[in-house]
Amino acid sequence: MAKTSILGLYVDPEDGAKAMDGLHAAGMDPNDFDVLTGTPYPEGAFGEHVPQHRLFRFPVFGAMVGFTLAILFTAATQLAWPIVTGGKPILAIPAMLIITYELTMLSAVIMTVIGILFESRLPNFNPGAYDTRITEGLVGVVVSVDEGRASEIEAILNTAGAMETKRA
Amino acid sequence: MQQGRQLDEIRINKELLNGALETPGWWKWAVLLLGSVVIMGVVVFGIQTNKGLGVTGLSRPVFWGAYITTFVFWVGISHAGIMISAILRLTQAEWRRPVTRAAELLTVFSLLTALSFPVIHAGRPWRIIYWIFPYDFARGLWPNVRSPLVWDPAAIGTYLTGSTLFLYVALLPDLGVLRDRTTGWKHAMYGALSLGWRGNPRQWRLQTVAGVLLSALMLPIFVSVHSIVSWDFAVTPGVEGWNSTIFAPYFVIGAVHSGVSAVVTMMALMRWLWKWDNFIRPEHFDALARLLIVVATAWFGFTMVEMLFSLYSLEAQELAFRDMQMFQWPWAGLFILFLLTGFFIPVTMWLFKSVRNSIVLMFWTSILVNIGMWLERFLIVVPSLARKQPFVYTWGSYQPSFVEFALMAWSFAFVSMNMLLFARFFPLIPLFESKESQIFTTEMKIGRTTIPAVLREQE
Amino acid sequence: MASRITAAAHDDRPTFEEAAADLVNAKSTATSSASTRAFLILGAFVILGVVGFVMKIADDGLDDRRAWGYYVAMVSFLLSTAGGAPMLSIAPVLAKANWIRPVMRISQLFAAIGVLTAIMSIPLLFILPPLVEDEVRRRSIWFGSPAYFPHIWDTIAIFGLVFIGLALLWSSSIPDLAAIREGGSGRRQAWARRLAPTFIGTWGQWKSLRIRIGVLSAFYFLFLIFTHVLFASDYIHALVPGYKDAIFPMYHALTSLQAGVASVILASYFLWRYAGYNRYIGINQIWNLAKLQFALSLLWFYFFFSAFIVFWYSRTPQNEKVIELFDQGPHLWAFLGALFFSFIIPMWTLMWNFIRVSMRGPAILAAVIIFGTLLDRIRLAVGAWAVEGINDKFLQVVPETVWPDLWDIFMFLGMFAGAAFLFLLVTRLIPPVSLWEIQQSRLISKPGMYMRSEVEIVGKPD
Repeated sequence: MAKTSILGLYVDPEDGAKAMDGLHAAGMDPNDFDVLTGTPYPEGAFGEHVPQHRLFRFPVFGAMVGFTLAILFTAATQLAWPIVTGGKPILAIPAMLIITYELTMLSAVIMTVIGILFESRLPNFNPGAYDTRITEGLVGVVVSVDEGRASEIEAILNTAGAMETKRA
Repeated sequence: MQQGRQLDEIRINKELLNGALETPGWWKWAVLLLGSVVIMGVVVFGIQTNKGLGVTGLSRPVFWGAYITTFVFWVGISHAGIMISAILRLTQAEWRRPVTRAAELLTVFSLLTALSFPVIHAGRPWRIIYWIFPYDFARGLWPNVRSPLVWDPAAIGTYLTGSTLFLYVALLPDLGVLRDRTTGWKHAMYGALSLGWRGNPRQWRLQTVAGVLLSALMLPIFVSVHSIVSWDFAVTPGVEGWNSTIFAPYFVIGAVHSGVSAVVTMMALMRWLWKWDNFIRPEHFDALARLLIVVATAWFGFTMVEMLFSLYSLEAQELAFRDMQMFQWPWAGLFILFLLTGFFIPVTMWLFKSVRNSIVLMFWTSILVNIGMWLERFLIVVPSLARKQPFVYTWGSYQPSFVEFALMAWSFAFVSMNMLLFARFFPLIPLFESKESQIFTTEMKIGRTTIPAVLREQE
Repeated sequence: MASRITAAAHDDRPTFEEAAADLVNAKSTATSSASTRAFLILGAFVILGVVGFVMKIADDGLDDRRAWGYYVAMVSFLLSTAGGAPMLSIAPVLAKANWIRPVMRISQLFAAIGVLTAIMSIPLLFILPPLVEDEVRRRSIWFGSPAYFPHIWDTIAIFGLVFIGLALLWSSSIPDLAAIREGGSGRRQAWARRLAPTFIGTWGQWKSLRIRIGVLSAFYFLFLIFTHVLFASDYIHALVPGYKDAIFPMYHALTSLQAGVASVILASYFLWRYAGYNRYIGINQIWNLAKLQFALSLLWFYFFFSAFIVFWYSRTPQNEKVIELFDQGPHLWAFLGALFFSFIIPMWTLMWNFIRVSMRGPAILAAVIIFGTLLDRIRLAVGAWAVEGINDKFLQVVPETVWPDLWDIFMFLGMFAGAAFLFLLVTRLIPPVSLWEIQQSRLISKPGMYMRSEVEIVGKPD
């Protein structure tokens, strides 16, 4: 059956939390509903399940790639034209260390940003039901549900005190 | 402690987007004025490119002058962003919230400006490509990774890329707000830039983790950048006053001093220009002044140790250089001005709470610091070169020409104009930080007194 | 807004009464046979150290500088660890960190070990050569000053630091001593009566106490840097001819902070694990300390490399000799040890949160770092004190490796035992966890709920 996205809007965040409770009680899969806010609330404030992520792997991977490339780059370029400058050895490790450090960090930062977007599930230009008033303080509870259960879900959202519900 | 007024999200949006969604009356005139200076700078640069470096005051033995000083100065200012944003984020200082965005932005624009100066200084800017890129593949000639002048672009490039990405990631939630408040092409632009931000718990959690993780990654880069800039000087054994092991941390702490002061200047201007009295409050200046007292004192300690050890060997060249720097006119005047403006006047004033809470006085003292910090770099760069050689007949002096003054003015106008242009499209104070602050700050009653309090999430 | 915050269902922190009973009455007054045995064993080692010292004088006299390098390293090490630790009760307070309160006293207790540093610094007066020998003046930060200026000023600095540290410890202990005066017993109570005769907790007394602690903290910080600058310059730097390293005193001070934090972590762990303070010291303290430790370990390398790159890059014979003396040559083993134990191992371990969020991980690493600091001080002090011809213009010959003899080992054992002895001795009188800090922490922080989320509400008084 086709899925539909339903959004309940709440003035009082506490009502939003009640809607989440109601959805839990109705046996909805936690992956099928979410709370949308214009403000970061303390984690778990709405009784939502705390999302897991693997962001920390990204900078580690980035750092390894950057380190390897930097070592190869600095070593290869010096060996390609082995001219002694300033009495330094051809493979001048302290100097290589500086470039390597910068490129390692650069790669780690870039991978971290990629990781942030990936783990945030961004970009996502087809987000389902949404209301611009969420960024003005309303709390939205968005549910992805089979068409057949839509009325039941709307009833749950309204019972919790939704000022409005809408479908995408 | 920071206890501002309780504002709802509509009010926060309205106040903080007053620059991005509307055009303040003064904005066009300010951009016009700054734009004129920028154009003047471009024209002057054109003249210099056409005539050559002879139009500057650079001459034997001083070949590094105002350009390199200004380069170091702007790299120093760029340390504002990460200092404020990363360190205060990691230490969970609540008062950081209204400051972070503008500080990060200052980092990006001051780095861009800093990067221009070696190009300007090169005289023949098209040849700069030989400096960091391969000369030509046919002969297999590559940049010399043993040269500090190659370390520099690596460090600054990393810092600029990281700072820009840091700024962008922290801008995502606010881009979502702008998308929801605009129509037409602006809506499309903000919609594309916000990447479909919705504000679900996953995105907020990642935003929080990203702030901490990127801060932790940016901090070591931040330290490395000015250290590497300092090594441009410090690894040169032949120049007295440069060849010092303390330069790296000394430059970094000096950069923090000037950068945080620049943030104070900018905050005062933001409060006055956009009337953000509800967000930038005297207690923020008080907190920054306290931080500056610590930073300035540490910097002064490093300055003293650096001077002590520069005289350590009592070699004739060392003494000649210090004699010129401290006792010969006009350097002695600049030296006294540097100490007074860089440390003694502002720090003495910041010891008083009435000064720390006065935005006008904080504005002017922060300007003083940056006058002092520019002079500090000037007094490091020039007198050392002027007394580089042991023989008196090879000594020289230096005075910046009009061209150099014009390009210095260009740099200030360029940074300010870019800040204003940014502010026309994006909020300078993070909306979500201000909204979060409304949730995370509270009050606590102890006996009959009530004190400000903050919420900390359980780890 | 406030309505969304509610009280937590459970608050398992010790109550005021429990804390008072734990910290003032029960724990510290315990004089078990185990602690007596510990004092006896430590005392025996201290005597061994004294024997080592006496025998060293008998064997080598006071004029053979080379023989005293390890002794200087010991003083430098003590100045670094015990001298740096009290800084922890100062820096986080400026940031209004609440987590530091349970371990503040522990950090201040290290000031008591300063007494040992001061005592051990006295022989240095006789070992350190004057600035002018055979009418030749060596380079120093004293330039043309009288020949015994370093001796005088270094002694003033070390004794001043110890005095300020003890004053800070005493001042911050006054409220607890007053509690012991009222609720304690025996000899401990008698001491408390003498040390806190009039404190009854009036508003004026608290205000004056806070000001006193603030002023002493500021003085301690300034004196610590001053002492490190003098000690590092006079006892190491000035003994290597031609060596010019402006960052060196700051390196000495910075690594002292690193070792100080490590000392506090280790002491906190022992008190948590073996002395029954697990209701006060917990993962929050160790986790935050471990983050600080990680940052300081990175700074160790940063300060080291800042000097190294300048020396390495110049390629002058003089600078190459300095690198050989301290890093590559006779004390390579100590340098590699310091590099691994003070930087590489802490960096690769403390960067992982799962290690920082454990009691044992940071404690083991703290021990590793303390060992690293010891090796670092050995490479510097032993290297510098082995140099011949200290009044020359440049370092001519890099000396051979100097290995510790039996008396040095005796003195090392005595030093560690003496430090532990003094620490334990002071904890017999002063609670190692501050009662008043704990009480204040309880007052200004509490667990709560924000809607469905567990939070901690922390007051931030000015």
